[in-house]
Amino acid sequence: MAKHDKNYVDLKEQPIPEGSHLLEVDNLKMYFHTQDGVVHAVDGVSYTLDRGETLVVVGESGSGKSVTHMTIMGLIEMPPGKIEGGDIRYRGRSILEMTEDEMQHVRGNDIAMIFQDPMTSLNPVYKIGRQVGEGLRLHRGYSKQEALKRATELLDLVGIPEPEKRVNEYPHQFSGGMRQRVMIAMALACDPDILIADEPTTALDVTIQAQIIELMQKMQEENGNAIIMITHDLGVVADMADKIMVMYAGRPVEFGTAEEIFYDPRHPYTWGLIRSIPDHGMDEKKELTPIAGNPPSLVNLPTGCPFAPRCPYAVDICHEKLPEHITTETGHYSACHFADDPAFLEFAPENSRTRADLAARKAAGQGASSEKKEA
Amino acid sequence: MATKEPLLKVEHLSKEFPAESGMLMSRFAKKVSAVNDVSFEIYPGETLGLVGESGCGKSTTGRSIMRLTRPTAGHVYFEGRDVAKMSHKELKSLRREMQFIFQDPYASLNPRMTIGEIISEPLQIHGDGRTASERNKYVRELLDVVGLNPEHINRYPHEFSGGQRQRIGIARAFALHPKLIICDEPVSALDVSIQAQVLNLLKDLQKQFGTAYLFIAHDLSVVQHISDRVAVMYLGKIVELSDWKTLYAEPQHPYTQSLLSAAPIPDPDIQKSRSRIILAGDPPSPIDPPSGCRFHTRCPIAQGVCSEQQPEFREVEPGHFCACHFAAPFPIKESSIEL
Repeated sequence: MAKHDKNYVDLKEQPIPEGSHLLEVDNLKMYFHTQDGVVHAVDGVSYTLDRGETLVVVGESGSGKSVTHMTIMGLIEMPPGKIEGGDIRYRGRSILEMTEDEMQHVRGNDIAMIFQDPMTSLNPVYKIGRQVGEGLRLHRGYSKQEALKRATELLDLVGIPEPEKRVNEYPHQFSGGMRQRVMIAMALACDPDILIADEPTTALDVTIQAQIIELMQKMQEENGNAIIMITHDLGVVADMADKIMVMYAGRPVEFGTAEEIFYDPRHPYTWGLIRSIPDHGMDEKKELTPIAGNPPSLVNLPTGCPFAPRCPYAVDICHEKLPEHITTETGHYSACHFADDPAFLEFAPENSRTRADLAARKAAGQGASSEKKEA
Repeated sequence: MATKEPLLKVEHLSKEFPAESGMLMSRFAKKVSAVNDVSFEIYPGETLGLVGESGCGKSTTGRSIMRLTRPTAGHVYFEGRDVAKMSHKELKSLRREMQFIFQDPYASLNPRMTIGEIISEPLQIHGDGRTASERNKYVRELLDVVGLNPEHINRYPHEFSGGQRQRIGIARAFALHPKLIICDEPVSALDVSIQAQVLNLLKDLQKQFGTAYLFIAHDLSVVQHISDRVAVMYLGKIVELSDWKTLYAEPQHPYTQSLLSAAPIPDPDIQKSRSRIILAGDPPSPIDPPSGCRFHTRCPIAQGVCSEQQPEFREVEPGHFCACHFAAPFPIKESSIEL
């Protein structure tokens, strides 16, 4: 184990090589070889991430968002999984080339993960304090007492009342929200560079969800770590995302800043997601426009654009040719043949800004016409 | 709507579960007060939304109405008949009129039955008088109505995706054309794009058949979208009830206000600029609920009276009910409370 190796230098203490980013995912492909055929679970994912940034990965179940990040953590069993191409570099070093021993040290120490279900990701037979302190004992060589002391501090930090008492309790004595706080405390114990949160609030109630998101943001402000947040709900991330990657059928279909994705989305799938969320306006209810059909099977992907069978705007080329990424000057890209066609982008859903624009234009128009009448 | 007779009338419904099993001390055993003194009405063809956090008793309310669990106290009148006092025979005829859609589309369909058998089972049980071939034809029609391929009538549930399975559950619930369907979190297990499909389907079917819904969910925007009126529950009690527009635009209970402000809005501009109340802590245990107003332990504006006296569920405006001593439009500030 890495803790016995005194010469081991924490990767996170090493400088990021010139021209590199904290994390670089480069055309990653992860396929599963199953009896039914080859599942193209992740098929060409690329992005970069720096310290202090929050990347949100949005997609439906089966879009490859979780598998991508399980691969980064080295948690995919191979076989049946197989990396068919691409690379993941953390501080300039390829994660895929690391030995299991090295990976053991990265996991939890440099890159930590919070899972969706706080009920099943804690061990029911160990006390909370032992589980929170486990990483410290392993990676930092803390003694039992030191680890327990630090675990108590961490529980206090994530807002668990009476931490001295709670460290000696078992997971079943905690509520769902409290367990997720324990998970966050555990993930942050070794002060990781990157925190990957896989649907951390999906199992929680709204009021608790708000608490957890606030806590993750506060922790990020203090520690400067990067966050990768995986979710299926665009709403949850509106106020925390710096960058957003929308995934569909194992591929990123749109990538941009939160501004760009919410106010200038350029892929019909992103539009579909936005239109599927009930409107929060207080005016009359609008019809929801769902995305027709179901996501494709990742074994038999359709030729051409994988979204074409469900896309209301699909034309012949969409069924024939896989679209390239069409990238704007700011790095906002969309994998749609028509993403740079202004006439096509007119189909994009309304948002609060376009609505305000429209209202302003209308008001200006009305003002002008009433002035005319007066004249 | 006020002139119409309610289809369902729930009066002072309470449900307690024993918290500890044991024979000797059972009389003194602790009780979980899951639903406490809940009253509301549902009119024909309308949708009443019931929102609240997990453990607030919204599902137990739904199950008590169907008498899937027997209420401890109170009455449930369905078209004037008290469900709580019905015999088994009466219950069977009641369930012809009242059906249930479950949350989990994976667990609520028998994996060993074809979807044709699943959907025609209620028809068989209630003896619809159809011959086998008529029934088969009717089930195919139903599959078509809920947007599934009638050719798939002989397939098994595992061959369908989550959204499709929920459609099967919906077809089963609609098979007898019931007057009321209790939908217990019907879309919370589904992906966003599929969620919208199922919500639209439920709305279309309601238009077509005039069915009333009790729509139980924890997602406020979903409830807002589908409901005519909305009731908010906290720890076994309804704290606010109103038509959807008033409830979302002018909530008067601090719990409703904090729920609404905690719900994320998919628009960074709005999300960053609005004022939010983030409640501290978890909901207390229903085994030993707080005295007075059950919300006072987490309430941002709680006063002395709140822990002593239970607030009355009163009509603050016509058709708008609220159980708070200090009910007032958002945001209620401590400074605005006159003592």
